[in-house]
Amino acid sequence: MPFWSWGKNKWNPDGKHCYVTGGSVGLGLALATILASRGAHVSIVARGKQRLADAIEVIESHRQRPDQIFRSFSFDLCSAEGAEAALDAVVADHEGLTPDAIFLCAGVATPRFFVESTAKDLIDGMNLGYWTEAWTSWAVTRRMVQQGRQGKIVFIASTLCYMTFVGWSSYSPARHAVRGLADTLRSELQLYNIDVHLFSPNTMLTPGYDEEQKTKPKITLKIEEGDTPLTAEQAAIGLIKGIEANHAHISADFITELFRASTRGSAPGHNFVYDWALDMMAMIGAPIWRSSVDTLIRAHRAEHAEYLQTNGVLSTHGDPGPTVK
Amino acid sequence: MFWQKNWDVKGKHCYVTGGSAGLGLSLAVLLTKKGADVSIVARNEGRLQKALAQLEAVRQTPNQLLKAYSFSLTTASTAKEALDAACKDHGGRCPDAVFLCAGKSTPGFWVEEDETTVRRGMDDTYFVQAFSALAAAKRMARDHFQGRIVFVSSVLGYMSMIGYSTYSPGKFALRGLAETLRSELILYGIGVHIFFPATIYSPGYEEENKTKPAITLKIEETDGGLKPEDAAKALLRGVEKGNFHITPDFITNVFRSSTRGSTPQNNVVVDAIYSLIGWIALPVWRQSVDATVRGHRSQHQQYLEQKAVFKLEELEEHIGQDSS
Repeated sequence: MPFWSWGKNKWNPDGKHCYVTGGSVGLGLALATILASRGAHVSIVARGKQRLADAIEVIESHRQRPDQIFRSFSFDLCSAEGAEAALDAVVADHEGLTPDAIFLCAGVATPRFFVESTAKDLIDGMNLGYWTEAWTSWAVTRRMVQQGRQGKIVFIASTLCYMTFVGWSSYSPARHAVRGLADTLRSELQLYNIDVHLFSPNTMLTPGYDEEQKTKPKITLKIEEGDTPLTAEQAAIGLIKGIEANHAHISADFITELFRASTRGSAPGHNFVYDWALDMMAMIGAPIWRSSVDTLIRAHRAEHAEYLQTNGVLSTHGDPGPTVK
Repeated sequence: MFWQKNWDVKGKHCYVTGGSAGLGLSLAVLLTKKGADVSIVARNEGRLQKALAQLEAVRQTPNQLLKAYSFSLTTASTAKEALDAACKDHGGRCPDAVFLCAGKSTPGFWVEEDETTVRRGMDDTYFVQAFSALAAAKRMARDHFQGRIVFVSSVLGYMSMIGYSTYSPGKFALRGLAETLRSELILYGIGVHIFFPATIYSPGYEEENKTKPAITLKIEETDGGLKPEDAAKALLRGVEKGNFHITPDFITNVFRSSTRGSTPQNNVVVDAIYSLIGWIALPVWRQSVDATVRGHRSQHQQYLEQKAVFKLEELEEHIGQDSS
């Protein structure tokens, strides 16, 4: 923790209004549940109404005090309009005042081969991995500054915001973009005393993960086969610990810690010595890992060429898809 | 590292987007001087013709194919049409290398951005290159053609700071795409490179400074910059040497090595030294920038009030509230 935060009170959700996007399943729900059990008011936003209703029941079962306010709202956050409308709904029961902490958990991954992607796949990837967080952060920042209020904005990306490999061409760029925005706003929102954090979880066992596995190329699955996924609860606990420690970049597993430390650049780090040790490990370990992955991919060429032939995807040089706007 | 060391552009077809000004034009001129066939793509027909005249002026052989194509690259269909047009003039053959220099920067304060400027920022940094890369990769894979795709990011794809909320995310996204494709296009023998320059003294830079917040200008005031010709030389040299991440100067090399992750390094020993320098110097630099930003708070509040960024009535309620 940087020295100027020694003595700063550890962040405590008790009595605070926490707004969680993507709060009806997975990491978002796990987070909302923990925050509720620690005395926070919780608002969750997602698309599916049934999931939201089920989620609110779960959150209710963690109520600590009768005065805690739990609300759920159905909105699509991939547009500026949706993000504004969601924010209007969220602040309505709080005298129109902005939340104390915003957790941007909404996000979906659809891994596939680049040459099998359409423009729509790239656009959707950016919508579901970046815009869904960026628009809410935009709406919230403007309102916080307008009201002269402070608070925390927590972006959630992925290990794939620090590194990437075959199969992730519509998802990893979006997650890298989240990092870019988080790093810009961490710097800029000091103007308003608004804190910004970035949480990068590795694979989590969630409904999102099940969706992802449906399209994931075999070679990507093979590369990932050694991974030990986290539960959503473990990830949520790691996130909250990172906020309490006032870390700008937060991760909840060792592999991501290695990447966090070795891609740090000018972003704030954790303990200087600890980060150096991680960086040294990564300096030796990462090239070895990457070389072995490259070898696997090279060995996969023939099988992949056959796959493309049988799929017939490239013979017609597929339709590029709709325009951006 | 690539199988072909010291790649030579002579006689090769090089496709350059953003080729009518700045880095793209300087690169196109350099490629022409080195004997390549060059196709430049941009939107503005007038600028393209002027640029083509510059290429003609340095033509090396009578049979070099030097062509200009006017297309918008921020939609996938026109990005593909542009590439198809260039391939048609080469008997349907894919370019040997695709240099994606198209891009634009419009810095500003996040609270002053509206929906249009935020969205345009991503189009003008990321999609303007991603759609061309998609068209090129598909074509190369279909034709079993072992070409190269070269992205142009920025030092603001390694790190970010105040003023760049509509620029940096797209430049980071380009890194994400290039890294994924370096790995994935091994399946087809297609090479991938990405260039991370800092300031280039180009028409784009002058445009950028029109909207750049004063505080951002202040932080950057001691930065040097490169002339477009020098940036282009560094970019091409990096591609010729087979470097994946290409950085033209000391500062960008320090950032490259300090954000290494699992990116292939160019020279293990030299890059370790850059890492060490970054490990000490970058936190110091960032903390001084943070202090500058914090010190700017009250001036910024005045600026927001003067510009009436938020509705006046609501502002009058909050003037007097201490927000710093």
